[in-house]
Amino acid sequence: MEKSRAVMSGKQKAIMAVIWVLMAFLAILTIFPVVYIILGSFKSNVELLVGGSNIFPSEWHPENYVQAWTGAKFATYTWNSVTISVCVMLISLFISTMAGYVFSRSHFPGKNLIYGIFVAFMFINVGSVSIRPLYELATALHLNESLLPIVLISVGTGQATYIFLSRGFVDSVPKELDEAAKIDGCTFFQTFIRIILPVLKPVMGTIALLSFRQGWNEYIMPLVFTMARDNLRPLTVGVNMLKATGGGAAAWNVMFAGASIAVVPMLIIYILFNKNFMSGSTAGAVKG
Amino acid sequence: MSNKGMKKQVKKEDRRDRISAILMLSPVVFLLLICSIYPFLWMFRYVCYDYNGFSATFTGARNFTRMISDTTFWSSVGHTFEYAFYKLVFIIPLALICAVLLNQKIKGTSVFRAIYFMPTVISSSISGMIFTFIFATQNGILNGILMALGMGAPVQWLTSPDHVMTAVTVLAVWGGFGNYMLYFITGMNVISEDVYEAAKIDGANGVQTFFKITLPMLSPILKVVLMLAITGAFKDYEAIMVLTQGGPGNRSMVMFLYIYNMIFGSGLTNMTQPQIGYGALLSVVAAIIVGLVTIAYQRIARRLDDVM
Repeated sequence: MEKSRAVMSGKQKAIMAVIWVLMAFLAILTIFPVVYIILGSFKSNVELLVGGSNIFPSEWHPENYVQAWTGAKFATYTWNSVTISVCVMLISLFISTMAGYVFSRSHFPGKNLIYGIFVAFMFINVGSVSIRPLYELATALHLNESLLPIVLISVGTGQATYIFLSRGFVDSVPKELDEAAKIDGCTFFQTFIRIILPVLKPVMGTIALLSFRQGWNEYIMPLVFTMARDNLRPLTVGVNMLKATGGGAAAWNVMFAGASIAVVPMLIIYILFNKNFMSGSTAGAVKG
Repeated sequence: MSNKGMKKQVKKEDRRDRISAILMLSPVVFLLLICSIYPFLWMFRYVCYDYNGFSATFTGARNFTRMISDTTFWSSVGHTFEYAFYKLVFIIPLALICAVLLNQKIKGTSVFRAIYFMPTVISSSISGMIFTFIFATQNGILNGILMALGMGAPVQWLTSPDHVMTAVTVLAVWGGFGNYMLYFITGMNVISEDVYEAAKIDGANGVQTFFKITLPMLSPILKVVLMLAITGAFKDYEAIMVLTQGGPGNRSMVMFLYIYNMIFGSGLTNMTQPQIGYGALLSVVAAIIVGLVTIAYQRIARRLDDVM
């Protein structure tokens, strides 16, 4: 870095400055909608309905959040979102690392066929039609009174990527480690728990982040499942329902506060782990 | 222990390992069966039926003839292509430019990269909602800013058929360019520093370096990214569903949103009767359309390979 700066001419420096300004401008554009919604959530409803070009609230109204939290059931929605994303994360972590280990290390007839079906269904996308039979199945089994079907379907639709990530990682672990464990008397499963899982930590971090995000951001599937069950809605559904049912001059301040509640936790996680998020997303795409 | 006994022992262990392997694989296979294979087969079951969620009647080829003359569906297919075209035309160059610029030795690149990628961690349903507030005609901040800058009348971003695709495209580009930028950056890291050093010694400037080195060496990555972007654009409907509900007058209705309305009834609150059998047929057709586009793209990409 120092070397290249040393040979930079004045003209190059000017070009770099222009580029920097352009990139900063793009960064402001990118971040603007989020800043707008968060600052707007402190405006009064009257100020929001009048509009204008002011980003900062003229008066700060933190009570919008109280109104959303207690009046508009956002406490329930938040709890549901947290439950769904944590469960999706834990289940995904457990079953996909296990599957990645089996696909990498075990040999049994039909293994490659099963793997091929996983790959095939990553490319087959039929859209929302697949939610219908699952909804009918959950209703028939009386599971639609709980968050369980939402969690399981979210895990089921996301697991393929995580399995590929895990398998790729286990493939890179030297086989001598397993063999040593086997000689020491470890069974296949014990080898997984004691030897492989500790080595898998980096890829588990990636899977944890990606699956948490997936659970938190899920929208259409929980929308269908909670159509008649207000108390099971996650934040994404709750805030959009509020908008749809409120009509024209609805409480924009509550909707802004609700949208902020839905976005801010994810943003905090992103700020803390942005490097892992970015490496995880490309790894998933390249492997998938 | 005799040789024979040891063999037996090994065999027994192998068998036990195999059983535990199958047990360990069973959760993901179970979910694959329930969440992917079962719905896929289910879809074909109702293709020839009229099914509203309660009663199904066999109607033969009627869904098919209806589809042929369903102008709303075919225009939604057209809108899907239109949307994919706009999205790609803006998102790929923007992502590529950002990636190239972030690859320079400029201060703050990691912050810029993190900011550009940020929209991808937000649920598209929430970003769709945020943009309905931004694009609102009377009190939206975009019109507020434009009018403060001297524009006469507010633009009907979401309620005019002339502007709605602009709004949809802006949202799509905002929500996705960081992701594709990251793919490009990952691809560029593979290009060795030596190549750039050599180009520098030969006196190549930034633009020449980009067209003579970065772009050709990036072409395998570019092909993969284009592929992901195309298939992704055809499948987008969540954000559009929240932003415009396909309106005004179906102007922003894309294929998969139309299908959603068939299968679950349109609108969040005023539910129309679902037409699941017809929706299932359209889903099959939509999947075939996406498949054909993918194949067509791969043909074109291969042909380009021969030319280049």
